[in-house]
Amino acid sequence: MEILQYDFMIRAFIAGVFIAILASSLGMFVVVRRYSMLSDALAHISLLGVAFGFLFSISTTWSAMVTAVTISWLIEYLRRNYNIYSDSLLAIFLTGSLSLAIIVISLSHSFNVSLFNYLFGSIVAVSANDIYVISSFGILSVLLITNFYQKLLFVSFDEDVAFTTGINTSFLNYLLVSLVAITIGLSIKIVGALLIGALMVIPVISAMQYGKSFLKTAILAVIFSISSVVLGLIISFYVSIPSGATIVVMALLIFISSLFKNKIFR
Amino acid sequence: MDYVIEVKNLNYKTYIEDISFNIKRGDYIAIIGPNGGGKSTLIRLVLGLIVPTSGKVKLFGKDRVNFKNNSKIGYVPQGVTKNDSSFPITVYEVIKLGFAYKSSLFSSTSIEDRAYMEFIIDKVGLTDLKNRLISQLSGGQRQRVMIARALISKPDILILDEPNTGVDTNSQKIFYDFLKELNQKDNITILFITHDLEVIVGDVTKVLCINRSLLSYEDKNEVLQCSTMSELYGIDAHVMHHNH
Repeated sequence: MEILQYDFMIRAFIAGVFIAILASSLGMFVVVRRYSMLSDALAHISLLGVAFGFLFSISTTWSAMVTAVTISWLIEYLRRNYNIYSDSLLAIFLTGSLSLAIIVISLSHSFNVSLFNYLFGSIVAVSANDIYVISSFGILSVLLITNFYQKLLFVSFDEDVAFTTGINTSFLNYLLVSLVAITIGLSIKIVGALLIGALMVIPVISAMQYGKSFLKTAILAVIFSISSVVLGLIISFYVSIPSGATIVVMALLIFISSLFKNKIFR
Repeated sequence: MDYVIEVKNLNYKTYIEDISFNIKRGDYIAIIGPNGGGKSTLIRLVLGLIVPTSGKVKLFGKDRVNFKNNSKIGYVPQGVTKNDSSFPITVYEVIKLGFAYKSSLFSSTSIEDRAYMEFIIDKVGLTDLKNRLISQLSGGQRQRVMIARALISKPDILILDEPNTGVDTNSQKIFYDFLKELNQKDNITILFITHDLEVIVGDVTKVLCINRSLLSYEDKNEVLQCSTMSELYGIDAHVMHHNH
């Protein structure tokens, strides 16, 4: 295949598949808790991290991850300890960090060239080093999700009851937002800050249309997510259109067909 | 005396005022009181979901804060019959959550645990429904799922917060027979909130009446005096006993 003759496309496929697995499996826990806005808020917070990267001339991948994780802990702390609606809290951090990101990027004089790449993603931006970071983190995350699967599911289903059985719900909540934050920090280079939220939510909602168990729904979501990424990358390569947007459109098409199929076979 | 729950001079903000009582192993206790009277708050304090302003809760002789053997307590919260209808989870998956506290990458559910799950599923009459989504069940069936989940850890105490909200009368009857069996055959201490005075007349051994403070903690026959009911609900009450 012509597409596989290019190193940057092979890197994009490897990174894309890892991100697809991470985004959809974490997305399962985020969506069922009605916390879908978290991914969007953290994507904008990652942009602030990218802006710091430009300002201090350090790795934008690392600065995005560190900023997203730090602020995700702050959001979780405020959610648990203050009487503020979760969606309002996320809206505050989403708009606040985007505004700060714009100011910091303006100060670093790299507004026009760089911000656009991080808003919409760019497959050519994936370096060999990014692959190492994404794959290492991807494997670690999958191990963590597998290890804590039952407990994460319990906390998502009923946090209070989970707590009364001796499960450390606070640790699991911080773990979940941290994994989501790191995944988003790693992903915005490829999928883009404006689109990563969609990759975390749409495959999960599509899978939920089939009325299966939690585990089967999660497996379906991962399959839909990987399919969206692979199809999106192939189409974007041959038609010369932006990869991030194409991936999300593929996810949307799967969602529409899931809805349609559900309607017919119900 | 072998107390499983000891509550001493418990206060929580303005919701609970200086409540003290003890519950011994094998008790079957109903908590009654008006809405907003602090019943659920009291249960949340006993479970450690909220921290008291002052006072103490002891479980099996240990301070609540130092009590780590949580599998000894099964909890069925309020509103189990109205769970999120879009949550994709089967009956079997919900019941298996009862083992979540000891699950990890390196310890899958043992053969004994799985056999016990099947036993409990059969005991609550859910064998035919175990692969159904929870959203496809009736209120009474969902209630049984949550009780099965609570029983999986073989608890010594079962705490239920208004378990019969949204459940039809026939299912309620089956449910209370089941609770009675758990109490009398399996010697599980049961503590539950109810508005159903008929249940109190039936099987319970003691009744905790609270309206922010403890109004009485008596044998059921004492509680069913008109004066107690009037004090509890703030209206003139006439309690009529019949044999049906």
